Amino acid sequence: MARLLGVEIPNEKRIEASLPYIYGIGPSTTKKILEEAGIDPDIRTGELSDDQLARIAHAVSNSGLLIEGDLRREIQSHLKRLTSINCYRGIRHRRNLPVRGQRTSTNARTRKGKRKTVGVSRSK
Amino acid sequence: MGRSLKKGPYVEQKLLLKIDRQNEAPHKKPIKTWSRRSMITPDFVGHTFLVHNGKDFISVFVTENMVGHKLGEFSPTRKFAGHSGHNPKIKG
Repeated sequence: MARLLGVEIPNEKRIEASLPYIYGIGPSTTKKILEEAGIDPDIRTGELSDDQLARIAHAVSNSGLLIEGDLRREIQSHLKRLTSINCYRGIRHRRNLPVRGQRTSTNARTRKGKRKTVGVSRSK
Repeated sequence: MGRSLKKGPYVEQKLLLKIDRQNEAPHKKPIKTWSRRSMITPDFVGHTFLVHNGKDFISVFVTENMVGHKLGEFSPTRKFAGHSGHNPKIKG
């Protein structure tokens, strides 16, 4: 377990595979970062020297990417803006329903969560 | 797909005219409009619009945060009245 950029702890995989463990860094940004740092993507993370790790960290912070907490906070602030101005998208976020016009008659389980059946209360 | 940047934002010409007239008027009155498709530009800030939703006119007070959205986004066209037989007051 190597430590990179504060709290991040990618494991004993190839560096190309372990960098995406960082929130905000995916496969394609990984490629760019490794190229920038001049590091072979096939090296195991554990076998990287401190100098190489420092170079990766440097490349990430120089790229101007938002990662981890900063990125999460940024996304939250966008959500907050949408809900505070009371626009359609904000309302959908508030009610935990799909935001981009998907159907809700069926599906939409990712947003709506587990199915909750509503029983019919019969009249006497 | 988004609108081409080349064209710039779309705003109904009549609406712009109405805003100009409101700016000169001594009192700001709400602007009634059916133009849900108009983008909110910085000139809209501080005005109140009555945006048609197909049935009623919903009052929308435009703030700075709303710039870049369209008027229709603030005037919902659907009303969810709940499911049948689902009355939270009567339990069981």
